[in-house]
Amino acid sequence: MNTIKFVFSNIFRSKGRFIFTFLGIAIGMASFVALLSMGGSMRGEVTRQAEALGSDIMIMPENICVFNQISIVTGDTISELMQYEIFDDMSAIEGLTVIPHLMQKTGVEGMSSVIGGVLPAETKDFRDWEIEKGEYFSSNEQNAIVLGSDFAITRGLTIGDTIPLGRDREELTVIGILKPTSSNDDAAMFMPLATTQRVFEKEGYISYMSARVDDITKMDYFIATIEATANVQASTDKQLLGNALTILGSVNMTLQLIAIVALIAAAFGIINTMMTAVYERRREIGILQAIGAKRSAIFKIFILESGLYGLFGGIAGVAIGLATSVFAGEYISKIGANELLKGVRPEASFDLWLILSAVAFSLVISIAAGLYPAWKASKMTPMEAINNG
Amino acid sequence: MANKSIIKVEKLEKIYGKGTVKTHALRNISISIPKGSFSCLIGKSGHGKSTLLNLIGGLDRPTDGKIYIEGIDITKLNNSQLAELRAEKIGFVFQFFNLLPNLTALENIQASMMWGKTPKNDQSTKARELLDMVGLSDKANSKPSELSGGQQQRVSIARALANDPSILLMDEPTGNLDSESEEEVLKHIFNIHKSGKTIVIVTHNNELAKKADLLFEIRDGKLNNPKSKTRTK
Repeated sequence: MNTIKFVFSNIFRSKGRFIFTFLGIAIGMASFVALLSMGGSMRGEVTRQAEALGSDIMIMPENICVFNQISIVTGDTISELMQYEIFDDMSAIEGLTVIPHLMQKTGVEGMSSVIGGVLPAETKDFRDWEIEKGEYFSSNEQNAIVLGSDFAITRGLTIGDTIPLGRDREELTVIGILKPTSSNDDAAMFMPLATTQRVFEKEGYISYMSARVDDITKMDYFIATIEATANVQASTDKQLLGNALTILGSVNMTLQLIAIVALIAAAFGIINTMMTAVYERRREIGILQAIGAKRSAIFKIFILESGLYGLFGGIAGVAIGLATSVFAGEYISKIGANELLKGVRPEASFDLWLILSAVAFSLVISIAAGLYPAWKASKMTPMEAINNG
Repeated sequence: MANKSIIKVEKLEKIYGKGTVKTHALRNISISIPKGSFSCLIGKSGHGKSTLLNLIGGLDRPTDGKIYIEGIDITKLNNSQLAELRAEKIGFVFQFFNLLPNLTALENIQASMMWGKTPKNDQSTKARELLDMVGLSDKANSKPSELSGGQQQRVSIARALANDPSILLMDEPTGNLDSESEEEVLKHIFNIHKSGKTIVIVTHNNELAKKADLLFEIRDGKLNNPKSKTRTK
């Protein structure tokens, strides 16, 4: 018999209480880890996608909100649209190569999907697209679809398949699949701009434009010229990324605060459990003292008990949290219910530092929660404990 | 019986409560108990027998007076030293057994060794020997709830001997047992006494009291001298 074995026998004697306390800390830790992990993933994903934008300047509708800027970075749709004529104005600026995008959302094979309307030839050059299978668009009015590489795999689509689109569920045929580009283009499908405008009844409109400059030392000049030419907002990809990360930072902070509240609630659960244990086991505390246990030994027994809740709950919480961040991230991404979380990718979630520090954090919180009950237990005199037990 | 006192109590006072609500549980008690003796504390319920036993065992502290165990004034010991004293020199047997409910009979005995001086490697063997001594080797893996009252008390006696203490303090050890179990438990107590342990028992059992070397009657917290006796064998 040793203290650890004794403590284990105490923890598991009341299985119901153990399970509920364990679940309290596990769920608290799980939410903490899931939110932290998803926050980290979002940050990583937004950074990765911004780097893959492949443009120098993004031209967006005026007064576009930061959330929509994130959508542009992550290749998603935005609510505001701008007149197609502005594209002509931008194209007229010397030293600027511009392509328009009309981003629309639709359901394909039961999954929320982004469809990009593009000028076929210009976009192919701008994006360095290559065809893996099938063929590319031959005109801006062609009623055809080209798929990003991931999009084809996740939806199980191939050349010759048709996809119903627009209010009239017009059947359009897949004619080609792009080679992987390591950008958001892989996760989208594309149609010629004119076709997209027609099918989605957005004639004369585009979502935003990507632009490249011939001299990157004149970036400020180009931005000023763009904004002076039309009522639009122009940002470099770095500015966009900075804006996106700022907003993500506050979102992350909020998520972490929510998770910390969950953890504090779990810590009070431990305090409650341990106080009940001290109250119920007063007689046993007295017996232990009678057979020679010092106050420090009683304190150690209760602190270890409390710490074990934290250790078990922490390990389970981290596992549940990481699993949640992967599956929930995937789910959220698929249903497109949350624009901010859509970029979450499972491969970014498993961070050893996060795992170890989360378990350590859980342990520290549980030990801290056990301090007062353990102190109360150790302060009892043997007679007080035995007589009141 | 050796003459040297293993337990000596001088002018012991115990007052419970504070302010105006005070209970004078023990008044001016002085007794001396020789090593290897068998002593009984008798008297009516609530007159202070258990209080005296608990003070001798260091489970509680007196309001005034001195208690010497093997010549050491335990009233001067701090909590930690008192715990060491209980672990090494004193074994307790309670009326309601007070076994740890989540541990088996064997583990209850081993638990007592956690704070004694028995080497870790010998603890299991010694615990089994003690269980065997009280005739319960077949109940080693039984939890207290699976044992009869008599069996629990025998485990409790084995536990009290776990650290080979020189003194055993028993608070009505047969008070909660049927007559058959009582007989069995008493048999073990007498055997332990024969092995040289000093035993002090609080009891209402007149037959047991008659067998005591020393008899102390506590009445209203005071030692009732006429009934107290010293038997010679």
